[in-house]
Amino acid sequence: MKKTFITVVSMLLVLVLLAACGNSNTQSSSGSEAQGNNSGEKVYKVAYIARAQSDSFAAWLANAVKEEAKKYPNIKLEVFDGQASDDKENSMIENAITNKFDLVIVQPNNGEAQRPYVEKVINAGIFAITTNARISGIEGASTVDADPYEQAGVNARAALDQIPQNAKVVVLNGPSGNFHADKRRESWQKEFFDKRPDVQIVGEQIANWNKDEAMKYMEDWVQANDKIDAVVSMNDNMAAGALEAVKDNAKYSGMLAYGVDGTAEAFQLIKEGKMTSTCLQNAFELAEKLLDTSNKLLTGVEKQIDTDIGNPLITKDNVDEYIELLEKAEALK
Amino acid sequence: MKDNMNWSLFWSTFKKTYSIYLVLLALFIVCSFANPNFLSVNNLTNISTQLAVTTILAFGQTILIISGMLDLSAGSVLALSGVFAVSAYKSTGSFTVAIVTGIVTGVVCNVVNAVMVSTFKTPPFIATLAMLTMARGVALLFTKGQNILQLEDFTILGQGSIGFIPIPVLFLIAFAIITWYLLRHTKFGRSLFAVGGNEEAAAASGINVSKVKYSAFIINGIFVGVAGILFMSRVNAGLPNGAINYEFTALTAAIIGGTSFSGGIGSAGGTLAGAFIVGFLDNIMNLTNVDSYMQQIIRGAIIALAVIYDIRSKNRRTKNTLGRIEDKSGKSGKSGGRRGEPIQEIAKGPH
Repeated sequence: MKKTFITVVSMLLVLVLLAACGNSNTQSSSGSEAQGNNSGEKVYKVAYIARAQSDSFAAWLANAVKEEAKKYPNIKLEVFDGQASDDKENSMIENAITNKFDLVIVQPNNGEAQRPYVEKVINAGIFAITTNARISGIEGASTVDADPYEQAGVNARAALDQIPQNAKVVVLNGPSGNFHADKRRESWQKEFFDKRPDVQIVGEQIANWNKDEAMKYMEDWVQANDKIDAVVSMNDNMAAGALEAVKDNAKYSGMLAYGVDGTAEAFQLIKEGKMTSTCLQNAFELAEKLLDTSNKLLTGVEKQIDTDIGNPLITKDNVDEYIELLEKAEALK
Repeated sequence: MKDNMNWSLFWSTFKKTYSIYLVLLALFIVCSFANPNFLSVNNLTNISTQLAVTTILAFGQTILIISGMLDLSAGSVLALSGVFAVSAYKSTGSFTVAIVTGIVTGVVCNVVNAVMVSTFKTPPFIATLAMLTMARGVALLFTKGQNILQLEDFTILGQGSIGFIPIPVLFLIAFAIITWYLLRHTKFGRSLFAVGGNEEAAAASGINVSKVKYSAFIINGIFVGVAGILFMSRVNAGLPNGAINYEFTALTAAIIGGTSFSGGIGSAGGTLAGAFIVGFLDNIMNLTNVDSYMQQIIRGAIIALAVIYDIRSKNRRTKNTLGRIEDKSGKSGKSGGRRGEPIQEIAKGPH
């Protein structure tokens, strides 16, 4: 028993040691590269601090950023995982300052919690970019983002003509207090519900971006209402969950459904005619802009940049071209 | 006077055993009046289907809590088992391979839990908390954080039905019977109560405590594995991020159902009733469109009430036991040290 314990502990120690060696190797190599690459050009160290590698969009974005960075020989990128925790993400930002990165890209877990830390980056004389979602109003910091208001807005404006008179709709919300969740809901309110007082919301719940939670709510709403004309969802996962709940029910075959994000599942549902539309938040485009902005800042072309990616509305008419794009994303993994 | 005492004894026993079912019945009646759609066959089938996954988890938790442990990793291990099962199905097209993969994953994770708890004597809370993080990490690493889509025929387990009964409900019934049988009619079940009631006493009476703990975790692993398969099949996707916090829903059902965190007390029927109490409440709140935030407050309040009730009734029980011992011996001083005895009696029973 004691022997087993000692064996296990020593094996763990060896493992930690090995991992540590691996790390110090990469650090020293990146350190030396920071002096210059083969052509003698200066190489800049860039830290990308992801909100969480566990959330599927954040993972796609991190992969896309890594891929895009390969196109820039003067940029050496390192990716860190904030593990969906403010605390962890903040200490990673501090570490990036200590390790003298030239530029720090932060994908905040919760904008306000990271704000003072991004300010520290700026005060240390290091460039900072905030992205998905941006932390606005930090002097000297740049931002690259998609506008969540517009992402929902393109759907909401299309819905003005699509949702029938006196329709009954249900609304699925993201986690309360989440910047994108709140902005998307606000957009639906201003762009659609305020303009269509005839439409009645017969159910509205927070399904935390999750397919399983949304499915359960929809099953209950179907029992409580004799008809539901549309599902207004703040992301694609929840819209897919609602559609899953009624997929074998002929009564709901004509139901409209709106989402945001542009997931593979949503594209499939749109292609099959089950989902009405979504807005793509394109990680490739975000990654392109992030690296381009980084390059411009580091080489002194500009001092501060605020930029947005487009908000394409995806419907049955144009879904095929975006499916191709996602297949490229799939190949990235 | 004597009749009166018998009646009050009968009533207190009745209340202790059946109060949870009375609460369930009362809630059922209230819900039926609160919304006309509640009583429809469709709605009741729905509730049962929705409850299947978390209730199967709750049965696993009941077994563990009775023996003085718990499993915080259930939701994460569920996701891991489900994701593995789904990929196994997608690459082989075989239900058998998928189900075996899911169950084996659940069991392996729970054997690790058992090693930590029983062999290394880590508190179950910490050990399974470690597994919660690890299992979720493996699920995310394996899927690279992306959902696995297009499960095709695999959905039959979670969405299909035999006759008018949905398959998840059949699983729910089967697991309820298995749990009830295990707890009530096997030597293993009795050892669970003994270990949870008083570990030293159980060991002294010849029970292999370590074996009981390993077995409890392995059974929990099977339950979690099956729940994972049902979950993914029902949502028609392999969700590495699915079932977050399901362990707490499961624990809630067990606690409301009268399973006591101090160990040694609990039943399959109670947990099933507890799950349905939560299920009815959630359902009626959705049918009547109660606000999201309000729902959370109400759910929390119910847990608080259940725990207060549990503690109060336990105090009363202790008093009753002491009272009876006092009555028999006619003295009051000696009763304190004898509280371990009934447990030893149970423990000795099956040998």
